[in-house]
This record gives sequence, structure tokens and C-alpha cells, in this order.
Amino acid sequence: MSETTSLPQIPTSLASLRESVAGQSSSTRALLLMAPLIAFELLVFVIPFLILLRISFAEPSSDLIYEPGTWSVEAYAGVIDNILAFELFWSIVSYSFLLGIVVTVVTVALALFYAYAIWRATGLIKTLLLFSVVLPLLTTLVIRTYAFSPLLSPTGTFNDLLLSVGLLSDPVQFVPSTVGAVIGQVYIVLPYAVLAIYSVLATMDWHVVEAARDLGASRPRSVVEVVVPQAMPGIIVAAVISFAWSVGAYAAPGLLSENITFALYVEELLLGDLRYPTAAALSVIMLVLMLVTISIMFAVLNRFGGDFDLA
Amino acid sequence: MSEITLHDLEKQYGETTAVEEVSVEIEDGELLCLLGPSGSGKSTTLRMIAGLETPTSGEISINGDDVTDDPAYERTTSTVFQDWALFPHKTVRENVEFGLKMRGVPADERAQRAESMLERVQMDGYGDDDPTNLSGGQKQRVALARSLAVNPDVLLLDEPLSNLDKRLREDMQIELREIHEDLDETFVHVTHDQDEAFTLADRIGIMDQGELIQVGDPDEVYENPKNQFIESFLGDTNFVNSRVTRATADAVYVDTDLGTELVLPTDAEPAVDEGTALTLSLRPEILSIDQPSADGGTAAADASEQLATDGSSRTAVTGTVENVVYRGSTVRYSADIDGTSMFAERTDASTGALSADDQIRLEWNGADVLAFREDGTRVSL
Amino acid sequence: MTSTLHRETLENAVFRAGYGALLVFMLLPLLVVVVTSFSASRRVAFPPDSYSFVWYVDFFDSTQWLDAFTNSIVIGVGTALLATVLGVLGAFGQELETDSVVGSVVAPVVLIPLLIPPVILGITLLLYFNEVGLRGSYASIILAHTLWATPLVYFVMRSVFSRFDWQQLDAAHDLGAGPVRSFVYVVLPNVKHGIFVGGLLAFIISLQEFVMALFLSTPGTETIPVLAWTEIRQALDPMVSVVSTFLILISIGAIIVAAIATNLEWVSKQLS
Repeated sequence: MSETTSLPQIPTSLASLRESVAGQSSSTRALLLMAPLIAFELLVFVIPFLILLRISFAEPSSDLIYEPGTWSVEAYAGVIDNILAFELFWSIVSYSFLLGIVVTVVTVALALFYAYAIWRATGLIKTLLLFSVVLPLLTTLVIRTYAFSPLLSPTGTFNDLLLSVGLLSDPVQFVPSTVGAVIGQVYIVLPYAVLAIYSVLATMDWHVVEAARDLGASRPRSVVEVVVPQAMPGIIVAAVISFAWSVGAYAAPGLLSENITFALYVEELLLGDLRYPTAAALSVIMLVLMLVTISIMFAVLNRFGGDFDLA
Repeated sequence: MSEITLHDLEKQYGETTAVEEVSVEIEDGELLCLLGPSGSGKSTTLRMIAGLETPTSGEISINGDDVTDDPAYERTTSTVFQDWALFPHKTVRENVEFGLKMRGVPADERAQRAESMLERVQMDGYGDDDPTNLSGGQKQRVALARSLAVNPDVLLLDEPLSNLDKRLREDMQIELREIHEDLDETFVHVTHDQDEAFTLADRIGIMDQGELIQVGDPDEVYENPKNQFIESFLGDTNFVNSRVTRATADAVYVDTDLGTELVLPTDAEPAVDEGTALTLSLRPEILSIDQPSADGGTAAADASEQLATDGSSRTAVTGTVENVVYRGSTVRYSADIDGTSMFAERTDASTGALSADDQIRLEWNGADVLAFREDGTRVSL
Repeated sequence: MTSTLHRETLENAVFRAGYGALLVFMLLPLLVVVVTSFSASRRVAFPPDSYSFVWYVDFFDSTQWLDAFTNSIVIGVGTALLATVLGVLGAFGQELETDSVVGSVVAPVVLIPLLIPPVILGITLLLYFNEVGLRGSYASIILAHTLWATPLVYFVMRSVFSRFDWQQLDAAHDLGAGPVRSFVYVVLPNVKHGIFVGGLLAFIISLQEFVMALFLSTPGTETIPVLAWTEIRQALDPMVSVVSTFLILISIGAIIVAAIATNLEWVSKQLS
């Protein structure tokens, strides 16, 4: 049984080398495994953002896109002055935020309802509802927005329908308009929001809702009192995703609205006007404003996490 | 030569000490059970022997070689895990062959050996099955075959029977014992079940709070526990509070909650002073049950008269039966003895059945009583 | 009694109508795309006045679209491979050392790119790739898409690994398999479905992403969504519907493949 004793004596140096390799604790191995990911994030994410930050502090140049090696807060001063004077940048930033907030509110409300319906559904209906969420998710948002043009245009399906039923006497211009942009953007973020909330609901025990009803809560009331607070982690994720992606929306407003959002304007600054420092500064400012808003959202929604008191 | 030597083995996770200064020598061919409640460090100790945990300090040697820093895959140990850890994506045979494959054993030899191992654990014919479809007992057998297939110097068993139901567990205990006798290999078996330890072990090592408190033969640890923890962990007992009234050369006299003075006969004068608090352990098997005599059973005779010349002493107390619990082969009587609750067992319920509120008389030999100090240490009487 | 019954019926009806309407909202745009692709005329109308396959014929004659298709596939596969390797190794490393400081930093850093508007990411990477001379290469778009796809693979793998019985890794070590062999023989076979689904997600993310691609692509590396976008802005014709229909079919195919891959064992167990 004791074959090990007959093992040839390994030279000490080799033995110690082998020991040091074997002794390489799991933490060293873990670091080695994470190294490619860390290197990637550093090279493709962290460093590019430092460069963006650097360019935002460069002096604008007349013949180059920016003056390398210079330090200046001119770009920031320009953007901030413009915003504070309620000029072009103010209207762009405020419109982007308004779009973000409206889309977020509509999306979270619809997503909560739809996720609840999926949670309660069984069999084929559940599969169909889940399929209806996953399929748009996997379709490019260009196509998702494009499809609304023939539906919502003044000569489109929706107007035709309303006119023929007699609900409208004149066609309504849903597209291009802010309403069209909101519809398109809600359609883009809704699948993510539904899945975020559904994944939390799926772990919930239906008996707690039954218990609430047994204790006298009406059906809508039981949802508000029991389901919503427990689904709060999912709701927070849904709200953050909806907001972050809608403030920076590009495709839906670009195709379905005539108003300029921040994303569309930055493109213009960069590729049309070649004002790199200004574009970089505007991006940094937007990012900061977004992060602040998201933090406030987190704080507010977390407070509701415990209990709702509608009384 | 001793097969496994653990020397001052310690394992710390951050601030918490899981295993503290464990030293033990495990003989070649021995079956040692590490017994203790959950969290006592017995599994951690086993995993350190297997090489699955690195000790914070201390040494492990197997067959005289220091293996402390060797990873699990270089050790000649093999483990049967608590949840068996069968590879779900491999068939039963592939599971059993895995260790041999890692050692570069040719395919035909592997298959042959796997088959004979499956036969040994009575799982022949299941080779092509998916392990996830097996019952708990069958999984346990496959895990055992997988570990035995690599012909380990030491077989380590990490509570492999704890997930089985009672009857199956008892069958497997017998089978494990037979396999051990067959192979004459060193087994280290971790369990929290004292019956299992008594059934299997050549020696039992009892662990509590990371320390190995006592190692010894099963009857030795049961009859001669080192402290009060072991006494309470190894079986049900009655603990009675008492205080020393006087100590002489051949006996210690104590005042108890039972409303009577007891005599504990001693060989040599023990190191206890008058007034020392002692906890006495009266195991149910030393208590004999009687109905008191017709006159109603007065209190026990005067303590000094209990001490017989041969060094034994008979003591009896009377009380009222509180409840009777039928436990199959035995009947357990709980009795109120002057305000203190005690229990005793009888195997044959039919003779002189007692029921609640009946008078009961319990009698024992004072030499069978164990005494512990307040810090849990045993008083050698 | 009657009134509560009536109320419950009403509530049920409202509830059903509500999710029915949302179901239509979710699927109608996709239906519009598929149906208009069969339009005979140049105008995109729903429902079309007449049907034909002319736009499908045009698609297979158009080198522009076929090139974009090739570009999308190349970039998608590249992204899937890179994101899968990074995500799987990272998640595995994290699982080996759950309480390391590095690990607690990695998770949020990996996640953050998902919350940054793609326009900002696009601009940032455009500036960066100009500096390092990657502009106009497949690599630039693959790297950008990997930034979005890696968090998904990473979090899919974290959840897969958290369900993996790590005692099996102990058992493999115990039976003599070293770190590499135990990963190949024991961990990999158990998590391969998760890796496949993660890779598939990465591929789909890349296939449909267009804002970053719009900034980073040059005429030689234009992907389908980028080309579709420029086409839509110039003229709305059913060609985009044809392309979209193909993309939708690829997505449905992907769902089916993923469902089969993850459930094959389950299905086979039901059958036996």
C-alpha cells in the first residue's frame, strides 16, 4: 500500500521549486485568471476615458481638432455658460433628461405590470409572453425603431385605423414628434426592464400574496403592499437601465423625433463641427449629471423598499 | 510505523480558529473516527489531511513523508465526500475510472479495475448509469468505489453517511466496517453521530471547538471521558448538581439537589476540597428501577451507611413518575426526585409497568457515578 | 357576494386586456418588419398594398448588403470569442477567490460600460483608436462590442459557477487531477452550456449594436445595423425590412439553439 515511500528522492532545489508552484495559493491563480479581463478593462475602458478627460481639458484649435499638450477649462466654461444662459446646450441637456425621465416612468410602470402578468401566467401563455420579451431584445434597435415609422406616420397604420373608426377627423403626427420618440424608446428599453423585474418576481413565493389577500387586502392592494416592495431590487435595476439608456438615446429620437438630444448633438459637434474639446467636455458633464441622477434614484427607491404607506 | 502523523495542526480563517493544536498519530490499518458536533473542526482536519485545505501552521506526514505543502492531487489519500461529489456529466464507470485516468492507467486496465470496484460495493451492472439518477445509498457506494479504485494509502470519509436515512446508514456502517477489515487500510472517518463512531471505530477522536480533546478506544472514551462535554456528547445522561461536604481517604461525600447525601467511593484521596461544586453524571444504564416498598418508600438511608466494605456503595432515591415514553425496545421513565428531573430506562416494559404519578425508586452503585468540576474537567475518583 | 364576483371578473378582464395590449405592442413592430419585407412597392406601408419577393431578390444582388452581412458575422464571432474567454476566466478566477480585493473592484468596473450611453463610449473609443492607430479595423469594433458583451458573459458565468458543486473540484484534485486537468475534465463539462449561452449572447449583442459601430466603422467595416441606419435616413424602402427579417430569423434561431442546448439533458431525461 505504501508505494510513495519508494519514490526517488527529488533534489532539494527542484523540490522547493515544485513546492513553491504548488504553494501558489488559490489567490495567485485567481489573479492570473482575472488578469486578461483586468487588462482588457484597463486598455479599452479606463485609459480611453482618461484620454477623453484629457481632451476635454485641451484648448480648441482652429486648424486641428484640438491643441495637444495644452491645458484649459475653456471647453467646460463654454458648455456651462451656455447651459446657465438657457441657450442651445440647456435645451439639449434638458430635453435629454426630460425624455429620460418620461421614458423611465412609463417603462417601469409597464414593465412591472407585464412582469407580474408573466409571473402569474402558466403554460403556453407564459412561454408566449416571455418570447415576446426576448425576441425584441435580440433584434437590433435600428429595426425596432424603424418599424414604428409605417405604424405611426400621418399616413400610417395607426392613423388609418383611428380615422376609419371615426375617433379622429384629421391624422395626428405621432412621427416625427416627442411622443414618437418616447414610444420608440420605451419599446427599446421595455424588454430589459421586464426581465430585470421578472427575475426578482420569479424567486418570490406566491403564498405571501395569498396571505395578504387572506388578511383582507384587495387584489390591486395586495400587489402594491406585497409584490412591489419585494420586487424593489428589480425595479431599481429596471429604472437605472431605462434612465441611463434613454438619456443617451440616439436611434429613437434620431428617427422618430425632430428634437435634438444630447447624443445626436455630440455626434454633430464631433463629426460635423470637429469641436473635440467641447464634445468631450459635454460628454463628461452629461456623465456626471447622469451619475448624480442615478444615485438620487437609488436613494429614493431604496427608501420605498421597505414599506409603502398609501394611507 | 505510524501511517499519519498530525503535529500541532492549526487552521485559521481570518480571525476565527477552525482547528487548534491538533496532534495525533494514526496507525497503519487503523479506522479512526473523528467525532464532534458541527463546527468542531473535524471536517477541516480531514480536508487538511486530504490536502484540500492548507494548514495555517503545523505538520502533516503520511508514511513518514512531510506532505504539509503537497496539493491534494499529489497525495496518496482519497476522500469520500459528504455529498459524494460525483461528476454528474460522467457515467458511474467513468466516475470510478477518473482517478486511474489521472494516473495514466491504460483504458482496459481501468475498465477492469472499475468493474471489480463496483462489484466490491455491490454496484456491478450500474456502470453505464447516470449518477444523478441513483439513490443516495447507491451514490454513496459509487463514491466509495471511486475512492477505493485509486488504491489510496489512506481513505478519508467526510460524513458520507449523514445524508442517508437511518436504516440505510446502519447497513452501510456494517459494510464499511467489513470493507475496512477486508482491505486492512487506514481509514479516517468523520462523523457527528456517536452511534456511528462506536459501530465503526478502532479508536475515536473527539473534537470540540477546534480542539482534539480525547483519543481512545470506544469503550475507553465512553467509560472514561476526559471532560463533561464528552460525557454529554456521547450519550444521554442525568447531570446532578452537588457540593462536596467532606472528603475522606476512601470516599467523597456530596450534598445534592436530589435531597440526599451521596457517597462517591474513591481509590485514592481525590483533589477536591470541602465546598467544591461538582456536577455528577448518572447514566440511565447504571440506574435500576423499582417500585418503592409498600410503606411508601421513605427517603434513602443515611449516607454513611451506604458505603460497603468492598468499596462499592448502593444509593437509592424515590420520587414520582412524570411521564413514560415508549421508545420501541426501551421505555424511558422521567421522574421528579425532590424537585429535580431524572430519567431512567428499562428494556422490558411488561414487568411491573409504571405509569405517571406512580412512585418510583432509582438505585445505583456510587462507583459508577462520574463527577466533573465547574470548568468541565473530570474528577478522578 | 354578487358584487365581489362581478368586481373580480372585471379585474380579470382588465388584467387580460392589459397584458394582451402589451403583447401586441411587443410583437407588432416585428410583425410590421416581416410583412413589409414582402411588399411589392417602394413605399413602406403596413399592411402593404401588394406582395412580392422583389426585395429579397434585390438583397441577394446587392454586394453592399452582403458585405455588411459578412462584416457583422466577423465582428460578432470575434466579439463572442473574446468576450467569452475574458468573461469565463474572470468569473472562474473570482469564484476561486471570493473575498479578494481585486475581485470586488473587477465586478463594478466590468458592469459600468453597460450604463454609459453608447454615444459617449463610441466617441471615447473613436478618439482612443485614432491615437493608437486601430481606426477602421475590425478589431476596433470587436473591442468596443466586447466592452458591452463581457459583462453579460461574466454575470451569466458567475451565476452558472455559483450553481456548480465545487466539491467536485475537490474530488477531482483528490483523485489526482491538477489545476488544469481538473478544470478541463470536471469544471468545463459542467458549465459548457453556460459558456455557450454566454457566447451566444455576446454574438447577438454584437450583431445588433449600432451606435458604437456607427462611430467606429469605415465603409469597409460597416455592419448591417449601421448600413440599415444610413439607408433609413436616406430613403425608407422595404430593403431594410428584408435585412431585418433575416436578423429576426437569426435571433429566433439563436433562441431555439440556446433553448435546446440548455435543456437537451432535461429533454433527454424526460424521454428516457
